[in-house]
Amino acid sequence: MADDFERRLERLFSEAPYFSDAEVFATRVERRLDRGWTVRRLLIGSAGLAGGLIGASQLIMSNFLHRVGVASEDGVQVVSAGWKQVAPGANLLASLPLSAEGVWVAVALAVVATGFAVSRMIEEF
Amino acid sequence: MPGAHQHKLASLHDVELAAHAATGERPAFGELVRRHGSAVRGLLRRMGASGAEADDVAQDAFLAAFERVSEFRGEGTFAAWVKRIAARQYLRRLQRERKLAALAAETEAEDAVEPAPEGAAAGRIDLDEALKALGPAERLCITMCYGAGLSHAEAAEALNLPLGTVKSHVKRGLEKLRTRLAPPDGATAEGRRGNG
Repeated sequence: MADDFERRLERLFSEAPYFSDAEVFATRVERRLDRGWTVRRLLIGSAGLAGGLIGASQLIMSNFLHRVGVASEDGVQVVSAGWKQVAPGANLLASLPLSAEGVWVAVALAVVATGFAVSRMIEEF
Repeated sequence: MPGAHQHKLASLHDVELAAHAATGERPAFGELVRRHGSAVRGLLRRMGASGAEADDVAQDAFLAAFERVSEFRGEGTFAAWVKRIAARQYLRRLQRERKLAALAAETEAEDAVEPAPEGAAAGRIDLDEALKALGPAERLCITMCYGAGLSHAEAAEALNLPLGTVKSHVKRGLEKLRTRLAPPDGATAEGRRGNG
């Protein structure tokens, strides 16, 4: 059991000494926290981007785009045929960019969006 | 408005600030550093760290505390929690630098222990001065147990010393401090009179 002297000693220890540079110290810690956070965000963003790129390259290597293209062409034909039946005068879907470039742009946007989404999710949780 | 935000943070309790910090709000943790930075730096110096070393370890301890702030549930005070982290970090640093074993074995103060100065008897000596009379091992044990709030067993584990050794360091350290920090006879008598 702690005696009076021990309790007094604990009180003495709990009294923080005065430091004239206390504010400088706190600012230094905050700066290191901010730096660590920035580095972490960059790393997470890079990891998300790299993951997205790898995913995209895997899709390309597996001839996925070609299959998507064929499927989408078939789909467009089906939808166009259906649309023509509903509104024979209008041909809106013919103006959509369904070329290979369009698919590439969509993939690139998806990669960037994945990177942002991953970094945002990790920041939140 | 950053000023208003700072003002709002200053009005919050440590537990609330820690909860904000746990969501990644760094200014809230900055406020905790402002409140308890000096206590942590002081503790490390009392453990025997030099000024620069203490500040270095204190910074690392606060960064480590930020990483684990969600573990702080407010059972004890935030200051006590972060002090324990800092004390352990300092010991790990000593261990890395292979100084811990040597320090833990030294029982005498580096300088020859001087007799208690006149001021000690008069109660005018402060804790930092009194701690200088202790050997490194006694100082570490006393500071860890009474400054960082570790139990004897926890201190023994952190210092990698047998429990009995820690207990005897603490006992010897307390005896020395008791002499040096003894309240002046006059003050005690006045205190007694003041309390009726």
